[in-house]
Parts: sequence; structure tokens; C-alpha cells
Amino acid sequence: MSSSSLPDKSQYDPTFVNSRREAIVIFGSWVVALIWAVPYCYLNGYNVADPENIKTVLGIPSWLFWGIAAPWVAANLFTTWFCFAYMKDDDLGVNPDAEPVAESDQQEQGSESNQEEGQE
Amino acid sequence: MTHIMLFADGSSNAALWTFLIYMLAVFSLAAFSNKLLQGKNFLSEYFLGSRGLGVWAFALTFAATSASGGSFTGFPSKIYTHGWVLGLWIGSYIVVPICAMGLLGKRINQVARLSSSITVPDILRDRFRSVAFGLIAVSLIVFFMAFNLVAQFKSGSLILKTLVLDVTLFQNASTTVSGWIQGVSFFEGVDAGYLICLLTFGVAVIIYTTYGGFHAVVWTDVMQGIVMVIGVLIMLPLALHLVGKSAPEGTGALQYATEQMAHMVPPEKGTATIHRAGAGSERIVIRQGDWLTISADPVRLFRVTKEKEITADGTSVAEVPVLEIMTPSDRERVLGDEKMSVRSDLRIDSESLQMTAYVFGGEEDRNGNGKLDEGEDRNENGKLDHPQKGLYVTGPGPDPKRMNGFLPLSLAFSFFFMWAISGAGQPSSMVRLMAFKDTVTLRRSIFTVAIYYSMIYFPLVIIFCCARILLPGMENEPDRIMPAMAVFLTENIGLGWLAGLLVAAPFAAVMSTVDSFLLMISSSLVRDIYQRNIDPKVQEKTIKILSYVFTLIVGVAAMLGAVNPPQFLQDIIVYTGSGLAAAFLGPMVFALYWPRSNAAGSITGMLAGFGAHLAMYCTGYFVNDSFFLPYQLFNFDPVIIGLVSSFTATFVATLLTEPPPEDIVKKYFYQAKES
Repeated sequence: MSSSSLPDKSQYDPTFVNSRREAIVIFGSWVVALIWAVPYCYLNGYNVADPENIKTVLGIPSWLFWGIAAPWVAANLFTTWFCFAYMKDDDLGVNPDAEPVAESDQQEQGSESNQEEGQE
Repeated sequence: MTHIMLFADGSSNAALWTFLIYMLAVFSLAAFSNKLLQGKNFLSEYFLGSRGLGVWAFALTFAATSASGGSFTGFPSKIYTHGWVLGLWIGSYIVVPICAMGLLGKRINQVARLSSSITVPDILRDRFRSVAFGLIAVSLIVFFMAFNLVAQFKSGSLILKTLVLDVTLFQNASTTVSGWIQGVSFFEGVDAGYLICLLTFGVAVIIYTTYGGFHAVVWTDVMQGIVMVIGVLIMLPLALHLVGKSAPEGTGALQYATEQMAHMVPPEKGTATIHRAGAGSERIVIRQGDWLTISADPVRLFRVTKEKEITADGTSVAEVPVLEIMTPSDRERVLGDEKMSVRSDLRIDSESLQMTAYVFGGEEDRNGNGKLDEGEDRNENGKLDHPQKGLYVTGPGPDPKRMNGFLPLSLAFSFFFMWAISGAGQPSSMVRLMAFKDTVTLRRSIFTVAIYYSMIYFPLVIIFCCARILLPGMENEPDRIMPAMAVFLTENIGLGWLAGLLVAAPFAAVMSTVDSFLLMISSSLVRDIYQRNIDPKVQEKTIKILSYVFTLIVGVAAMLGAVNPPQFLQDIIVYTGSGLAAAFLGPMVFALYWPRSNAAGSITGMLAGFGAHLAMYCTGYFVNDSFFLPYQLFNFDPVIIGLVSSFTATFVATLLTEPPPEDIVKKYFYQAKES
């Protein structure tokens, strides 16, 4: 890519840059969820010594409560933060279907569609 | 009656009325959607809703399409059969909304606009300027979705049949149709009731999808999504209330349920010969759900799991499928409940019993040799000595077939991967991500779906754990557990009519999946094959006719395929869903986020994902004697092997081949220059 005429990376489309950064954070959240939930449940909910007297929290087996139910609440809080504080509002570009003259093969349709629809 | 008859009397009519009102609403939405098609770019409106979906429409269509029928049939049945461990099985749903919508959502929507794409193959074709890539993508979508569609049609028909099973009108119609199809070779072995339901379900979905297009699908999804969540939110307090009635003073309902489950042991499944208890020559119907006992200490309790009859001139019927309850407290509950009274006109021949215990949980491997030796752990009466307790409240959960239990550690990882990551790789989800209006809509929708899933999935685990206490012995009847629970809960509070609404939930879930898939296949044929490869200058009017015709043809073909559907319904759905993810996720992620990605690398990745996934299934055919028992390399599900292969192959093949043309990179990754 060294001999390319591509602009500097600083000129990347901000929607691309933001969405890539957000995707990395989302993937990270999945990794954190995985690293917590599965090992926690396995260590505390499998091979239990006295399963007939299993510990519970609010009636749910405690391994499942702390492994999944409580993290579910935490994950929802994270999602709320992500959606309303972290994720950027970006320009997605023009809606090609809203344009009277669209690109390439849409062009022909665009002009014809209005005429055709009028007959319906 | 000696068992809980689904939709008996008033409830059956309620179910029918609910269904009719529901269908009326669906058709009204389709008619309204058709009006929207007027005066707009037909293709974009018909297949993508003109990229104008707002928060509620986008959030609920995404949630409802992803949910599919499995959430309300297979999932409840799994909870019932394996217990609390299902909470871990769906554990990754804590991040599914943000992953499935957020990983690709914003970027795929932008790229679809930049390339004027209407379908997923459209995006790949334009992003890489490769006709071949577009055609490969179309082929894979049509291949997987056609199979899936047939399976979903069958699933929808079975749910509908459960819904109307005890409606007199339906029973009469079944008898009539049975006479019509007798002797017709195409219908040989087909159940008339199933056929009626298939036709009703199929014709309804095909008509409203064909007529209304994407918007009809989206709006019915919204309605179906609301029905689903209302169903769950009504069932949860009812289930807890009814379990709590038996709980000792000071013990919470859920605490009581978990304590009871901790003492449960898995049932045994098998067959028995059943005799008349006395003299007589009348025909006796042995219904699914009937209870029978054998006098012993303690009394042995059996539940019939498939309807059979003793003919007028017969004295017995052999090989009746039965399930023996092994948990003492369950036995006491059933025997002490007058609504579940035991049939006294029938007698089980104890000599004829052929019972099998759960492989994991039913018997103990006393020798510790990793397998159950013949006769191990059974006493001289053939009864189990030590079925394991506590399995329903711990992992990996009891399992009738698998030695390692229901959810061993490797599978727990696989499923955490599967729901969240491969969910993002479904083309049907990608299409929805192309249709939202703006990023504000996306942000709010992710939040909405997160709340929506929280209100559905964990509550379902609680509801069907309670079902273990309220309705014992239903392990062999996976399709019936949801409707049976709906009827049980509502009749106990004197609101039997409500059952119709609750049972509409799984029906709604299948419908919302079927309509989306139907539209995806027809859009592939019309847009990706006909318009883009055969006649690029095709007139709008022709496009319109073709869209209607293809949607109709695909729907009818899938319906005909479902008349004699393949056996492994759920397996086909799993195979196609995971196969699509294995093929599409890798190339799409690289296409959206890696400027260096090129056509050669991405095509290689798509074929590698498809091939590796298929290879696991083919190996399963040779190793496990069944295509649908795939080989699990390193104990992982095939979808993980497919995804790893796809991502690796795309990356390596891209670096080994020429970089993409710079104008493409500029178009999709750099800020547009002012013209």
C-alpha cells in the first residue's frame, strides 16, 4: 500500500472509524461476558458437592444468579450507557431510494416507477 | 377427564377465536402495507421498506425474526427436560442485542446506502465489484433458506395443530380430508390434520407476505413481538402463584420450586402393553397424558405419551409409549391431585415394560469405567437404585442420550459463541440492519431489544422450571409443553380463554421467521439473479410482477415440500442457521471494516466457512452414523469451526492476493470529496 494514491488514514470516513471503534468495544463486552459467565457457572454450578441443598438467591441457584442473572442486569446497564452515552450519531449517507435520480441500475427504475405507479 | 386435555370445551373455541382475530389483524396489516407500495421505488419498498424503519418497527422486527419458533417450542421443552442449566445455555443473550445489532449495524447500513444495495448479495457484489461473489452468495442463501423454510413451515403447522387439536370443527375437517387423500400416493402417510394446518398456515403466510412485502412482514413482526412478550409476562406471575400455593409458610414460590427440583430424578422412557382392567367390549382410547399405575411399594406411576386404542374386539394394546415418574414427590403430587386422576379401566402389564433410563443422570457409573454396563445400578426388580438427584439445579443437566450431560463445558462455550456472534452473521438479520432510518434509531433499538429479550428469555427459564413442579411427566411431549402450560395456568385462575392468546405466541414467532425468509429468497431471485444478471434494464412493472410471482412460487414450493417434510426438523434449522453464519459473517466483517479486503480473499473465506461447517456434518455421517449428529472437533460445535476457518481463510487469502482497486477503497472507507 506504500505506493498507493490513497489519502492518509486521517481522512477515513468518520462513520467507518466510529463504527469500527464501537464494534471493537462491543466485541470486548462479549469477551468480558464470556470470561465471566461460563467459568463462573462452571466452577460454582458443576460438580456441586451437595446439590440437594443448593444455595439460592431469590430462589434461583446462586451459581446461575451470579453467573447469568446479575450480569444480565449489568449488561443491560452497559447497553444503556453504550446506546445513550458512547455510540455516536453518524451520517449514514443519502437514502438512494429517496433520491429521484439514483445510481446505476436504479436510474431506469426511478423514472419509470412514477409512471407505472400512477396506473395502479 | 383423566388428564389435562388441551383446549377442552371453552378453551378450544377461545383458541380458535384468538387465531381468527389474529389472522384478521395480519391481513389488515398486509393490505395497509400494499398501499405503501404505491408511489415508491417498488423494489426498495417491497424488499427493504425504503430504509425508513423507526425504533419500534426496527427493534421488534429484529427481535421477532431472531426469536423464531424455537424460542417458544424447543426452548421451553429444553428447560423442562434439563432444568436450570438452560439459564447458562442462553447466557449470551445478555449481550445478544448489542452484538447482533451493534457489531455490523451502523456500518452495513451505510455501505448498503453507498452501493444502493437492497440485498446482502448486493452488498458483497458491489463492495468487491464481483459478479461471481454476488452469485455465490445468492446460491448459498437460496440453498440454506429453502431447507430452512420447509422446516419452518412444518414447525408452524405443528404448532397450529396443537392450537386447534380439540376444536370440533377441526376434528370433523380432519376426518373429511382424511377420506379425500386416502389412496393418493403424494399424501401417503400424511396426517390429515397436519395437512389442514399446513395449508392454513402456508396460504396465510404466502398471501400476506406476497401482497404486503417487507412492510407487511415488519408490521406483523411488531404485532407478533408484542404477542410474545405479553404471553410471557402473563405466564410468569401465574406460574409463580400456582407453585407458591404448595410452598410452606415463609418459603418463596421460586425458592420452593428450586428445592423441589433439587430432589427430582430423571424419569425413565419406554413402552408397555396395556390391558383392559375389566370385562367389556367397547373401544377404549388411551389418550396422551393419561396416568396409569402398577401396585408396588412405592406405587409405580406412568404417563402415556402417545395416543393408542384398544379396539372393540381386543383386550390389550402393545408397545404404548410411556414415561415412568421416578421422583417420589412428583408421584405423591400426581396421585394426590384429583384433576390428574389415574385411569382405573386400564392395567399395565409389568412384564411387558421396556424402560430406559437417562444416560446422564438416570444411572450411576458405579465402576467408574466411563460407560454404563448392562444391568449396572439396577436391583433385582429392574428398578434404578441410584438415579442422581440435584441434576436439575446444577450443570451440565440431565440428558437422555448424551454421556456428558446436556451442557458440558465445551458446549457452554459453543452456545455463548453461537447466539451472540453467529446471530450477527445471519443474512436475515443483516437485511434488517440495512433498513433502519438513522443512527438514533439504531441506538434506541439496541436498547429496546435488550429490554425486550430480558423480559422474555430468563422469565421463560423460570416459567418452565415451575412447569416441572406443576405438570410432571411431559418430557416425551416437547411440542405440547407450552400449550399445556398455557391451558393449565389460565384454567386454574378461571380464565381459560386467555390460553388462546398465550398459545398464539409460538405461532407468532414461527410466522415472523417464515415471512422474512420467504422474502429473502424471492428478493435473491428477483434482484440478485434476474435484475442484476439477466435483464438489468427491466421495467418496474415487470419487477413488480416477478416479485409477486417469485414470492408466491417460493412459498408454494416450500409448502409442498413440507407436505412430506424431512424428519429432522430442528436439526435442519440448526444446520442452516449455523451454516449461514459460518459462510457470511467473516466475509461481511472484513468487507465492512478492513480496507485491504478483496474479492478473492472474501470468496475464499465464504467457501471455507461453508466447507468446514459442511465437513463437520459429513464427518458426523461417517463417525456417528447420522448427518445431523455432526462431528465436534475439539468438542466444539461446527459453527465455531466454520467461523474460525472462514475468518482465517479470508485473512490469509486476502494478504496473499492483490489489494483491491483504490477507487473502491476510497468509495467505501474515505470521506467523499466535495464535487
